[in-house]
Amino acid sequence: MTEIFISVLLLLGSFFILVAAIGMVRFKDLYGRLHASTKATSFGILLLLIGASMYFGDFQVYVKTLLIILFIYLTAPLAAHSITKSYKPAGKEGDEKDEKADL
Amino acid sequence: MTMDITIPGIVLYIAFAFLMLAMVLTLYRLLKGPGFNDQIAAMDLLSSIIIGIILVYGMQIDNKMYFDISIIIALVSFIGTVAISTFIKKKND
Repeated sequence: MTEIFISVLLLLGSFFILVAAIGMVRFKDLYGRLHASTKATSFGILLLLIGASMYFGDFQVYVKTLLIILFIYLTAPLAAHSITKSYKPAGKEGDEKDEKADL
Repeated sequence: MTMDITIPGIVLYIAFAFLMLAMVLTLYRLLKGPGFNDQIAAMDLLSSIIIGIILVYGMQIDNKMYFDISIIIALVSFIGTVAISTFIKKKND
């Protein structure tokens, strides 16, 4: 029973990472590529980590898994935000001249 | 606790195949990306794919040590991504 669960988790996790890579190739814009790569990759790594930690079934491994999941879910949006802030589209002058929306 | 769980080998091979195909597609974007930002995004995705490959490989050879390598790669890839994109942002201004 546990074998089937771990197998499904492994296949789903690697499938989500493959979906992220396909989106990385197929999207036309940097924003679309980041949209594909950030979220799907985090979820795929989450599933792979849960499967691997259930395979080993050790307390130390569970603690390390929790650390990796926390770190990836904290830093993947930060990295995507940093890449987006350094992006300067070719047609525009840059985002200093954009007017701020009155909210 | 229970080390007698045996995953079928075909599952590990299919997971390896998915991850390798994802790696090839990401390398295509890394080589052909129109700008620096696409290449940085591709490198960020590539580090995540390498974390997945290391986890599946650690399950295949039944060694718990490979989780530590995943922690180190997650830390270093975040620092590298933020450093390079901050450098490009400073260069654009």
